[in-house]
Amino acid sequence: MGKIKALVVDDSKIMRSAVKRALDQLMVAEFEYVEAMDGQDALDKFNDDIQIMFVDWNMPNMTGVEFSRAVRDQGAKIPIIMVTAEKSMGKVDKALNEGGANEYITKPFTADKMYKAISRYIDEDGNMIGDSEEESEKKSFFSGILKS
Amino acid sequence: MITKKISKLDHIPIEIVEQVKKSVINTFASICGEEPLYIEKPDKSGPLNGMIGNIAVFNTEKTLSLMLAIPKETALSLSEIFIGMELPFESDDMGDLIGEISNILAGDVAANIEKVGFRGQSSLPTATRGSDLTLFMPNKPPTEEMKFSGSTGEFWLNMALSESK
Repeated sequence: MGKIKALVVDDSKIMRSAVKRALDQLMVAEFEYVEAMDGQDALDKFNDDIQIMFVDWNMPNMTGVEFSRAVRDQGAKIPIIMVTAEKSMGKVDKALNEGGANEYITKPFTADKMYKAISRYIDEDGNMIGDSEEESEKKSFFSGILKS
Repeated sequence: MITKKISKLDHIPIEIVEQVKKSVINTFASICGEEPLYIEKPDKSGPLNGMIGNIAVFNTEKTLSLMLAIPKETALSLSEIFIGMELPFESDDMGDLIGEISNILAGDVAANIEKVGFRGQSSLPTATRGSDLTLFMPNKPPTEEMKFSGSTGEFWLNMALSESK
């Protein structure tokens, strides 16, 4: 099974645990987790080793949409899964278009919802789809921009 | 139009009350796997030994405050369902859980009341724990109190509609 480094961003420790538990229960990959409690904390912890992100919306200091926009503006192309209580269609559009998120799942989520959200990005061997030396080089380049 | 109704602020429009009721039922059904029962004409609630989750859905003009009053036994049952184990009632994690349930509820309320013309965003939640809790509403805005009974126990949802400052 492949190893994937995931950034889990939520001001609720309970929800961060719920995301990790759901991912571990799916057994699609061996996840290593980095946790952040708001968008600013997530920006500080983001680096080129992160391969996928699970991001809440409503957080103090910096929202999930603001954080997603910030990493997209720096050129990061890794999958961003919004995991949020916000349900109105306007909010979904905002997360996907303005924030640049790839997927959107609402709380409380089931394992099935989580699987559907990530299955486009993780192959049957538990590796990120599209992960290659070329992608790794791109990540390192953008990491330099983020940290400068 | 709902905007005209809520501009008077002497009562919470029935359209909003009904949508909030739906949201409570949806939210607890999705967490517990079973819809809670709305209790018609309940006895007036007394002081609470438990937790209150506070959150609001607001816009520049109006704020709909939601207070989810959860007795201790219901909170313990909810923790077992939500995270798979019973949390200590006095723990920070229990406060986190009630705040998160309030957050989920507010997201559903915001989506539902938008359908009847109240467009707003959710605030960040807070949670209060105590043994003799009573809700007071300064300035007496219009309020509604609803009681529910579910697989995890009984709980109340109080709401108040006020001017946004």
